[in-house]
Amino acid sequence: MASSVTGFLKRAIREPLVHFLAIGAALFVLNGLINGPDEGPTGETITISEGRVNQIAESFILLSGRLPTREEVESLVDDFVSEEVGYREAVAMGIDADDTIVRRRMRQKLEFLIEDGAASDQPTQAEMQAWLDKHADQYHLPERRAFRQVLLSADKRGAGAARDADAALASLRSGADPAKLGDSSMLPAAAPLTTQEGVTGLFGTDFAAAAFAHQGEGWFGPVASPYGQHLINVSSIEQGRPVALSEVADRVSADIVESRRNEARDAFHARMRQRYHIRIEWPDPWKDLPATPDPAPKTKSTPEVGE
Amino acid sequence: MKRLALAVCAAALLAACGGQGEAPAAQNEQPPVAERPAANPLKNAYFGDTHLHTRNSFDAYIFNVRASPDEAYAFAKGGTIKHALGFDMKLNSGPLDFLAVTDHSEYLGVLPAIDTPGDPYAAVPYAKDLFSKDPKQVNTAFRKFGDALRTGKRMEEFADLRTVKSAWHDIIESAKKNYEPGKFTTLIGYEFTSAPEGRNLHRNVIFSGDSAPELPFTALESQNPEELWKWMDQQRTNGFEALSITHNGNGSDGTMYERTMWNGQPVDRAWAELRARNEPLAEVTQVKGTSETHPLLSPNDEFAGFEIMEWYIGSTTPVTKFDGGYVRKALKDGLELEAKVGVNPYKFGLIGSSDTHNAAGSYEEDSYHSKVGIQDGNPERRGSAPPEGKTWANYKPADNTMRFSTWGASGLAGVWAPENTREEIYAALKRKETFATSGPRIRVRFFAGYGIGSSPITTDEGVKNAYANGVAMGADLIGKADGKPDFQVMAMRDAHSAPLQRIQVVKGWLDKNGKAQEKVFDVACSDGGKIDAKTQRCSDNGAKVDVKTCAYDQDKGDAEISAVWSDPEFDPKLNAFYYARVLENPTCRWSTWDANRLGIEPNPDLEKTIQERAYTSPIWFISTKS
Repeated sequence: MASSVTGFLKRAIREPLVHFLAIGAALFVLNGLINGPDEGPTGETITISEGRVNQIAESFILLSGRLPTREEVESLVDDFVSEEVGYREAVAMGIDADDTIVRRRMRQKLEFLIEDGAASDQPTQAEMQAWLDKHADQYHLPERRAFRQVLLSADKRGAGAARDADAALASLRSGADPAKLGDSSMLPAAAPLTTQEGVTGLFGTDFAAAAFAHQGEGWFGPVASPYGQHLINVSSIEQGRPVALSEVADRVSADIVESRRNEARDAFHARMRQRYHIRIEWPDPWKDLPATPDPAPKTKSTPEVGE
Repeated sequence: MKRLALAVCAAALLAACGGQGEAPAAQNEQPPVAERPAANPLKNAYFGDTHLHTRNSFDAYIFNVRASPDEAYAFAKGGTIKHALGFDMKLNSGPLDFLAVTDHSEYLGVLPAIDTPGDPYAAVPYAKDLFSKDPKQVNTAFRKFGDALRTGKRMEEFADLRTVKSAWHDIIESAKKNYEPGKFTTLIGYEFTSAPEGRNLHRNVIFSGDSAPELPFTALESQNPEELWKWMDQQRTNGFEALSITHNGNGSDGTMYERTMWNGQPVDRAWAELRARNEPLAEVTQVKGTSETHPLLSPNDEFAGFEIMEWYIGSTTPVTKFDGGYVRKALKDGLELEAKVGVNPYKFGLIGSSDTHNAAGSYEEDSYHSKVGIQDGNPERRGSAPPEGKTWANYKPADNTMRFSTWGASGLAGVWAPENTREEIYAALKRKETFATSGPRIRVRFFAGYGIGSSPITTDEGVKNAYANGVAMGADLIGKADGKPDFQVMAMRDAHSAPLQRIQVVKGWLDKNGKAQEKVFDVACSDGGKIDAKTQRCSDNGAKVDVKTCAYDQDKGDAEISAVWSDPEFDPKLNAFYYARVLENPTCRWSTWDANRLGIEPNPDLEKTIQERAYTSPIWFISTKS
């Protein structure tokens, strides 16, 4: 019996539903504290209602999996009384107002409370397609190119590399075997389909720019790099293309959920700001900054990695 | 088209398709986003970082770092993320090929929990002090945890491990999600943060697969690394293969590579086997300095004084014992111990990594952001600029700022592997076909073998021959009664860094009296330079850097250098190891870049220039006698 209860609890701890219920219970408690059936937070009388005691007992059951004993429930309620009294006194003394941690947590809790549960719903296929269409740039697959290259090494040929490259280019254009031309190197003689960023990493900026700007077939060059002069033959091009939803469904879904949450939070802050006239008195070096803040500040999204 | 899909499956899912005999059809419902490049039997160099911290590490969170494992992967893949001080960080030299997120396993995820309203941990009385923007208060908070770690006792308020479990789960999930076979490899890992009395015995533990044990084995279970290795043995029988990597021996006060066991007894055979089996790699360069060798240990190596760090980790306690803290000496001790107990406990390969706590490695001198969040995120806090209103004439960095000023923009782990998959990257780490760099992507190959010198590795044919008839870095070369082995080494510069100046071979050997010796040979010089037979050094290539602008000579040094070398002092009867060290031309150190950007003088107590470098794993020569 005991082990099956433990087993149940272990499973329960991992259950999203239990997480949901626990968070729900926490919210309920919080909501009760602010708006609940008990006396307002400034009254002289403190009544711990039946409902409150039941809540405390239920939290205990949720955490321990059993009913609290008489002693336990008494001690829990007593602890709650201390908490309630302490809280009222602390707020009355205003010690929450100048405490940055308390202020920050109040804000966090507020944001947590207004977070719309529906924001986390799995987006529909149609929503995802619409999102992908609207943000096509973000999911666009970049162009990739495969190429061969022949190096005329600056180490070996010095300033003569450019002249030798011209001669080698003429040979290549008349059908010479590229494997027999140029200097051996740790650089690959042939690169598979690679993005411009990838080519830049190995060959440097100028080489990559030239390889990706080139139009047309056959050998061209010379193109300079930190290694010397190169002749390049672009062997295949895979055009950049938009992706299909099936290729990025998980990413799109996560991005939509994040965006919805941010929107909900931003809208909430914008509404709250409308209740106040806010004026910022900028000191000297910043005097030219605007005296009223952005009425609708936007949450920044997590970084997107360009392909 | 069908054939292509099958080929992609064969490459992408080698284990899954082959091992379990599953039909690949189910895996192919989604069209392949991009065709995988074919595996290269001659292997490619891949660069990565096996040592990185995110918000889940107790110290990183205290340093105001909020970036998650997902953001760390985004940065490594070429994305832009925010520093704790709010500025953007991005890799100028392009994305990395692989990354392991290795958060401190002790109190993993606990600080974010303390900072989460409603979490039971949020109730700790000192919660408020932990999340300050003031570097001094941050330091006090950090000490609370740092001191607790030194004792190895779990703070009792964090006895419930649900938070650790959940953070560990997130790390594993993030590694799964961010893995792109053929393009970017993620490795599951963590840092075992043992520091008895502050002496650094930290290790990174890296798992081979896409899953890991339910909880990591931490220094709160035991500070004794022997217990970690035994746990790793146990996990291996449970199907979780892993390796561990030592780091910052330089901060261990001589305890990282000792000649005795935890109980004080001399090293025995079983201990040597246990260590060698589990710990095939050492991190030789990172932000907190170099652990290759120290000038006092290698007085005849004039390049030994590179980014030396002489403090305990996270403290201004000075290190007093260098012997036992540096890898070259450990490799030598390994030869001596092997002669005594029959197994070499210190037969490890070399890698570099960053140890960044910003979720983003700082590998580039010209865009340095150091590693501990708001603690060292600007030049004043890391000692490269005096505070407002002061000059170097009336200000000298002290305490942490002084420590930070000696840190470096380093390092990277290089591996040679046929393709960029988790299986292949891990296999390369395990067989030690690895190299370390101090930041730039210097590529270096190193082989040894009898008769391989006739086909230089400057061509594919030569590389093929070297693999077929010789051994690569990290391996043993079994001696023959006659003849001398050839060594082949070749290095290529980073297109985004300076040209190369020279390649050296560092040799360690057991002399006739059983005493380990060392010697550094220059084996390849840039600019057609010659090696002096007496000094074994290249002639000076005269490369200079203008410290006012950080511009350096473009016409000095080489893009690639190579050598076929044989040891002029070779003795087939003596055990030895050889590793290659590649030196760049001098360039500005990060502290000089910082000063130039601000238009001030560089800190006069710091080196203005450095010579970036790469180190290969050793090749061990096993003499005919043994």
